[in-house]
Amino acid sequence: MRVRKTALVAALSSLALLTGCGAADMTKQASPFANAQGAKTVTLSVQSWVGAQANVAVAQYILEHELGYRVDTVQVDEVPAWDALSQGRVDALLEDWGHPEQEQRYVKDKKTITDGGELGVTGHIGWFVPTYLAKQHPDITNWKNLNKYSHLFRTPESGDKGQLMDGSPSYVTNDKALVKNLKLDYQVVFAGSEAAQITQMRQFAKEKKPFLTYWYTPQWLFKKVPMTEVKLPPYKEGCDADPEKVACAYPHTPLKKYLNSGFAKNGGKAAAFLKKFEWTTEDQNEVSLMIADKKMTPEDAAKKWADSHKSTWKKWLS
Amino acid sequence: MATITASPPRIGLPGLLKSRAFQKLLLLAVAAAILVPLANARWASGTWPSALTVDFSEPLAKASDWIIDNRDSHPLFLYFFGHVSNVVVIAVRAVYLTLLAIGWAGVTALGALVAWRVAGVRLALGTAVAFLACGLLGMWVPTMQTLALMVVAVVASVVVGMLLGLAAGLSDRMDRVLRPVLDTMQVLPAFAYLLPVVLVFGIGVPAAVLATVIYAAPPMARLTSLGLRGADKEVLEAVASLGSTARQRLLTARLPLARKELLLGVNQTIMMALSMAVIAAVIGAGGLGDRVYQALASVDVGAALAAGIPIVLLAVVLDRVTGAAGEKLGAEPEPRSGVRWLVALIGVVAVAVAGRLAGRLDWPEAWIVGIAEPVNRAVDWMTAHLYSGVPVIGGTADWAGHFTTWVLDPMRDSLQALPWWGVLLIVAALAWVIGTWRTALTAVLAMAAIGVLGVWKPSLDTLSQVLAAVAVTLVVGFAVGIAAARSDRLERALRPVLDVFQTMPQFVYLIPVVALFGVGRAPAVAAAIVYALPAVVRITTQGLRQVDPAALEASGSLGATSWQQLKQVQLPLARPALLLAVNQGLVLVLAVVVIGGLVGGGALGYDVVFGLAQGDLATGLVAGGAIVCLGLMLDRVTQPTERRAKKGA
Amino acid sequence: MTATLEPPTEQTMDTTTPVFSVEGLWKVFGPKADRVPADPELTALDPAELRSRTGCTAAVRDVSFDVRKGEVFVVMGLSGSGKSTLVRCLTRLIEPTAGTIAIDGEDVRAMDRSRLRELRRHRAAMVFQHFGLLPHRTVLDNVAYGLEIQGMGKAERRERAAEVVAKVGLEGMEHRRPGQLSGGQQQRVGLARALAADPEVLLFDEPFSALDPMIRRDMQDEVVRLHQEEGRTMVFITHDLNEALKLGDRIALMRDGRVVQLGTPEEIVGSPADDYVREFVRDVPREQVMTVRTAMRRPSADQDGSGPAVRPEATVSEAIEAVARAGAPARVMDKGRCVGVIDSDTLLGVVAGTEQPAPPGTEQPKGAV
Repeated sequence: MRVRKTALVAALSSLALLTGCGAADMTKQASPFANAQGAKTVTLSVQSWVGAQANVAVAQYILEHELGYRVDTVQVDEVPAWDALSQGRVDALLEDWGHPEQEQRYVKDKKTITDGGELGVTGHIGWFVPTYLAKQHPDITNWKNLNKYSHLFRTPESGDKGQLMDGSPSYVTNDKALVKNLKLDYQVVFAGSEAAQITQMRQFAKEKKPFLTYWYTPQWLFKKVPMTEVKLPPYKEGCDADPEKVACAYPHTPLKKYLNSGFAKNGGKAAAFLKKFEWTTEDQNEVSLMIADKKMTPEDAAKKWADSHKSTWKKWLS
Repeated sequence: MATITASPPRIGLPGLLKSRAFQKLLLLAVAAAILVPLANARWASGTWPSALTVDFSEPLAKASDWIIDNRDSHPLFLYFFGHVSNVVVIAVRAVYLTLLAIGWAGVTALGALVAWRVAGVRLALGTAVAFLACGLLGMWVPTMQTLALMVVAVVASVVVGMLLGLAAGLSDRMDRVLRPVLDTMQVLPAFAYLLPVVLVFGIGVPAAVLATVIYAAPPMARLTSLGLRGADKEVLEAVASLGSTARQRLLTARLPLARKELLLGVNQTIMMALSMAVIAAVIGAGGLGDRVYQALASVDVGAALAAGIPIVLLAVVLDRVTGAAGEKLGAEPEPRSGVRWLVALIGVVAVAVAGRLAGRLDWPEAWIVGIAEPVNRAVDWMTAHLYSGVPVIGGTADWAGHFTTWVLDPMRDSLQALPWWGVLLIVAALAWVIGTWRTALTAVLAMAAIGVLGVWKPSLDTLSQVLAAVAVTLVVGFAVGIAAARSDRLERALRPVLDVFQTMPQFVYLIPVVALFGVGRAPAVAAAIVYALPAVVRITTQGLRQVDPAALEASGSLGATSWQQLKQVQLPLARPALLLAVNQGLVLVLAVVVIGGLVGGGALGYDVVFGLAQGDLATGLVAGGAIVCLGLMLDRVTQPTERRAKKGA
Repeated sequence: MTATLEPPTEQTMDTTTPVFSVEGLWKVFGPKADRVPADPELTALDPAELRSRTGCTAAVRDVSFDVRKGEVFVVMGLSGSGKSTLVRCLTRLIEPTAGTIAIDGEDVRAMDRSRLRELRRHRAAMVFQHFGLLPHRTVLDNVAYGLEIQGMGKAERRERAAEVVAKVGLEGMEHRRPGQLSGGQQQRVGLARALAADPEVLLFDEPFSALDPMIRRDMQDEVVRLHQEEGRTMVFITHDLNEALKLGDRIALMRDGRVVQLGTPEEIVGSPADDYVREFVRDVPREQVMTVRTAMRRPSADQDGSGPAVRPEATVSEAIEAVARAGAPARVMDKGRCVGVIDSDTLLGVVAGTEQPAPPGTEQPKGAV
């Protein structure tokens, strides 16, 4: 009896202690690892693909070596990254492929996130076959002929249909609807992660096997496994409005940066720098390739790029 | 249905009629004969009837929107969750800054000296080596981040677990309420806890810590309650007979008597917290798990391994040190133990101050050894030579293909072809034969819940993968376990291997698995086998070794060959352990279904990953719920009696 | 050495209040246990019927007895006879269902928590079958545990404990853990712990049945020694008849929760109350338990002055020796007066168990109707 009473008192008093000292807005809490050892810290979110890593690596390098910040990186997928950005758990998101719903909510309504300008890279999603296959069967690059070749793409996983490989669940994809609406004899197989997808593509390429995959540019893998896009029915504004009825290609998206509003206002040099950060598809690919293919650490790759592109990044600091 | 109503001939089988299993089946068959035609007439369909599903996506999406919109304004968040989150952030930060302030030399010294005091010189050396290895691999800061998170999560788990355990241990009513909850939480995969906490706290450290606490507190609670209840009744009576108050009884007798269990609880909590701290990288925990996860994105096995090794080292060291502390209990206390603690403390302070004065708090860059490249080369070589075209036996890709076509496909198709009530009946029959009507009811309800959630088909797909993986795991696990039980040398050699596989973050072996088996369900099954195998091997070996030596001696004296001994004495006597191995195999395989989703396993695992990645809580939570139900069902179907043993090996 | 050599005299005991006075005690386990003692129909049932009718088990059924100051009161019975439950009811380690218990005239069942704790701390201490020691404490701290609970300071209680440890012969082992001691040594610790609080009564619950026979005898002797030195009242539970006869001033023999006979060892052996008791004591060497007082016959007038003299308290076996040596009947001399004669025929009758002398005064258990 006594024990229960003690426990009750303890629970109540700790609750009182917690609630007694007023409100606590958890959306305004920084990461516990930020600003350690007196350094100013910027927390950047990294997405799971290498292009995003390249952005962050270069930004991190310049923030640390030119501006004297300490940089923490957190790997979060895009949509959760918006949420984290809004809460200030991360300060910046450097590569966003277009999330109108989130933009509406956080940038326009709640104003917790600020538009950070364009990254300078244009992204595009599509279906790709390896170039060696396209050379063998030139007409395979038109979606209308895909059914003719579906037997080439059979795997144990897709059974008696052709396999269309999709990647990470964090990517924007209409492929299931496309296959259905274009009446293709294909089965969408989700690799589940970009790492798995890339590994599988390289294994196929090593043996010159045919494969059809969801892929995107800019992407460093094109340098290792040359691929040709399969033409889908052309993209028109609004043709992908209803996710169930999509029957057209993916758009070309200018990639954008977003900053936490508080950081954008009070982030000083770091925020100013990140707003100005803008480079080209070639630049990004160069760094990506060093990271992903040459297996350099992101830091070394960024250093190498920065050493040879001084003029590019000097502009970001002015 | 036919499988169940096919009653054996009645004449000449009185024994069978009397057997309880048969009686249960007969009763079930009668119930089925009445209910099935009714159900079938009403909802005639092979798969789960859509009339019986409830669509949760709308309300869940609404709830998630509401939370996001109100997180910075609603009192519930401002006055409760906000503070919880705040406390977590402040605590983690305090520990993290302390660790950084002590510096790498100080932390290493602290670890080594604590290990020396509680576990002896050898483990102290091991601890020091482990910490230095973390630095050498260039992982000092992430290691400290993970450690800071772990310290806070473990302390919170131990406190929460002990409070719950005290409640369950001292009050029968609380025990009745808590026991089934804790038992159930024990079988749930770690991923299942991520989505709900993310929903409330958003991505970040607070969510990671809370998910870890939810995951790691139950073993502490169970073991605390077990320890309190398992105390020698006569000692407690003696203490009462001396006129003690309830408080005195608790503090001077019940808790000290339960200290073995308490320490085991701490040990288990640490191990579970560590594994969760890695998985929680998906929701922004940072630290080592995040490094592994980032390396995965650039398909860099070497980098992933560099971050994975510190995790393994931490796990092994923490396990051994807490284990050794447990074994030391009850031994005669060392003389002048206080003085030695003081010496240890002074040593730590001296090293830390020296490190500070030398300006060497951060691990020196020059001392970092890159292991990524050689590892990657080794992995490349292995995958290049094993993937396909190996003469005679074929490559791993061919095996994966055959396994998919000849095992996974037929299993999935036949499961999905079964009428829904047929699946429920099979579940009921299995659970009832093995347990009581209560277990059968729980199992059937869990299975039905999957149907109601509207994910019947993908769940059966996942189930087929789980069953295939468990079958392979058990065959291999029993074989290796039996071999290890018969040879001390093999067991010793296996121990570090099992340790590594049990503690290595699963993200690390994801890429090699895909490189060997391609994308699809086969690599998902392979990843599950790698994860579940160590526990099955351990339990099998332990079970066989614990067989009463007198029984072995007796059979040996009758001239039994060693094969006969194994078959007729050891295996039958180790039956409970083997059943536990089956149960644990299932639970563990299910726990990595989500990992399977990352390599093309599809089905529920993919849905959970999708939910996390897209912030689509409806999809994620429903799939997570279905995994939970599958886990419950499989656990009940393989749980012979009220099992109160601790989880896993 | 047997305790029966110096029986407390009846006269002194009747004048003082009994240490424990138990009246109509019931302990029933099971659902709605309260109704059983109150319902005469249920109390009449035998255990099996009671169980099938109510689902209850009566461990102690309508037991009454007094424990007198300074005596060793033994409760004896086979396992399941309710004796361990009975002793736990005395300090309410098990809550009795019905009846009254008084210690020094104070109603135990009416005590509140703190009063009950006082009783357990200072007036009655118990020694357990499996010792009940705290494995994480040293011998010294185990012995001092009761004092710690009473709130005594560390130095003082350790000093007291050290004295008691010496008294039970465990010098030099103060800093060992219970796990490092033999069974006999552990029970000495249990005994010391009970003695440390200097209680009025010591309760023993089959304290020696887990020990080897040799050690058991040592421990029994230890108890006898302690009793002789301190004269402390003891309630001793055992299933071992020889132990009961050796230690007990009086014995209550229990069966199925009832006391079937209560009396001195001599009364139990000499005049069993029923066939159960008779069967129980069949193999006891009667000549070592029965006294001459019981076996003698009235002296005839002509026999004065001849033959050896024996005391009335002497055992029959002592009388046999005297009679055999003299070759003639012996005179039983009490305070210089011849109170009886004993010859080889009467002695043989006792040994053979054929003679049933009228018991001088077997007590019937008070509750027995």
